[in-house]
Formats: sequence, structure tokens, C-alpha cells
Amino acid sequence: MLALVRPDSWNLPLFVHVLGAMILFGGTATVAIAGFAGRTRREHAELLARVALKTFLFVVVPGWIAMRVGGGWIASKEFPKDEPGWVGVGFAVSEPGALLLIALGILAWVSVRRQGVGRAAVAVPVLAGIYVVALGVA
Amino acid sequence: MSKYDWLLFLHVTGAFLLLGGGVVAGALNLAALRRDRPSEILVLFGLIRIAVVAIIAGTVLAFVFGLWLVNEVGYGYGDGWIVAAIVLLILGNAIGGFAGSRDARTAKFAEELVAQGDAPSAELRARVRDPLTLVCNYGSGLILVAVLALMIWKPGA
Repeated sequence: MLALVRPDSWNLPLFVHVLGAMILFGGTATVAIAGFAGRTRREHAELLARVALKTFLFVVVPGWIAMRVGGGWIASKEFPKDEPGWVGVGFAVSEPGALLLIALGILAWVSVRRQGVGRAAVAVPVLAGIYVVALGVA
Repeated sequence: MSKYDWLLFLHVTGAFLLLGGGVVAGALNLAALRRDRPSEILVLFGLIRIAVVAIIAGTVLAFVFGLWLVNEVGYGYGDGWIVAAIVLLILGNAIGGFAGSRDARTAKFAEELVAQGDAPSAELRARVRDPLTLVCNYGSGLILVAVLALMIWKPGA
């Protein structure tokens, strides 16, 4: 029940964190969907690779920033000294996850350069799918 | 995990599917706005159907386990923020569903154009960019963000 009683000052950082996480989840899922669809719809592979890259740049990156900034903000208010383990799991996904997202962005760019075919085009939806699952766990 | 934890987990999972699905649909819809070839529009509109499944599943999970949580925690079903959230959730889904049915007719039209040679069409372009459909699509997304804000701030609770 204590979790339900929250100081008003925690609401904005929590909203930024949750909304950012939802945008990140949806954006990464879009990258995965467009990437997998590009494997089966070869005539539209280039279009779908472009959709994946633009979604990465304009949805995934802003979503990650909002999620991470909001998460750090609420954690600093709720646990100013020692963080519990479940908060650590969240950071463990978001920080190494940033490296995975950087790799995803580079591969999505390479995939567009190669008209949506080749190894990069195969790796993009796989990496995006792994990150979607990791987000679910976090 | 306690019963409360499970109910909250399933409710939040539903909210993620609902709003995440909305993000997927929005991103693919925006991509379709920039295309002219019927086959490209058809591919993008076809992928939106995956998002629709997530939105429907998310709505059911968030709604059912949200109502259960109200009972579990001891809030009242008549509390203003809960009534507002239910009304907005139904309104958002109704408006989104209305826009979705118009998009489905546009996809059908694109399919006919593909069969006729896949040449760009002014009518298809107008249907994809139809202002009423766009307002309903993106308006329903904003309504769902307002529901999320209500869930966090719980005004009057």
C-alpha cells in the first residue's frame, strides 16, 4: 500500500520515465517489425530499412533519453542513498542497452546504405527484438 | 509476488502494449504519409495490423486488471479520476477504431491500385492524408497519454 502513497513531486519524473519507456518500447518494436518485414518483402526492403532507421533516430533515441533521464530523476528522489536491487536491474538494462542501441543505429544506417539487403539488414531486427525482450524484463 | 504486485504487473503490461502499439501504428502511419506508390502504402498499412493486435490486447489487460486493482486497493469505482480514465480509454479506443476503419478502406483501395499496375494516385494520396482520419488517429494517441497522466497523478485520490 505504501507504493500507492507518493509525494506529488515524484509524479512528473515518473510520468517522463514511464512515457519515455513506452515510446522506447514502441519505437524498438517498430524497428524490429520493419526489419523482419524487409526480410520477407524483398521488393520493399529499402523502404522498410529507411523506416527502421528513421524510427530509430526520431522515436527510439528520444524515448531512451526520456526514459533514462526520468528514471535517474525519480530514483534520486525515491532512493537518495541506497538503491534496491530492482532499480539496479533497470539501470543494468538501460546503460549496456545504450551500447546495443548505438550498434543498432549503426547497423540500421549500413542497412539503408545497402538498400535493405545484407548482413546488417538481418542483424537490425534481431538486435531490436532482443532489446524489446530486455525492456520487458526491466 | 503478492496479489497486488501481480495485478499491477498485468495492468502495466497492458498499458505498455496499448501505448507501445500506438507508437508503432503512429510511426508506420507517418511513414505511409510520405509515400506515393500504392504497394508501399499497402505494405506499411499492413504492418499497422500488428500494432492493432497489441492495442486491443493492451486495452483488455489494462482495463480488466485496472478495475480489479481498484477493488483490491480500495479506491471507489465512482472516484473522479477513475471515471475520467475509463471514459477517456473508451473514447480513445472508439476514435482510434473509427480512424482504423477508414485506414482499412484506404488499404483496400491501395490493394486495387496495386492490381491495376501500382501507379501513384491522387485519390489514394488524398485518402492517406485525410485530415479527419489523421486527427482521429493522433487524437486517440493523445487521449491515451492523458489516461497515463491520470494514472500517475490520480487527482483527488
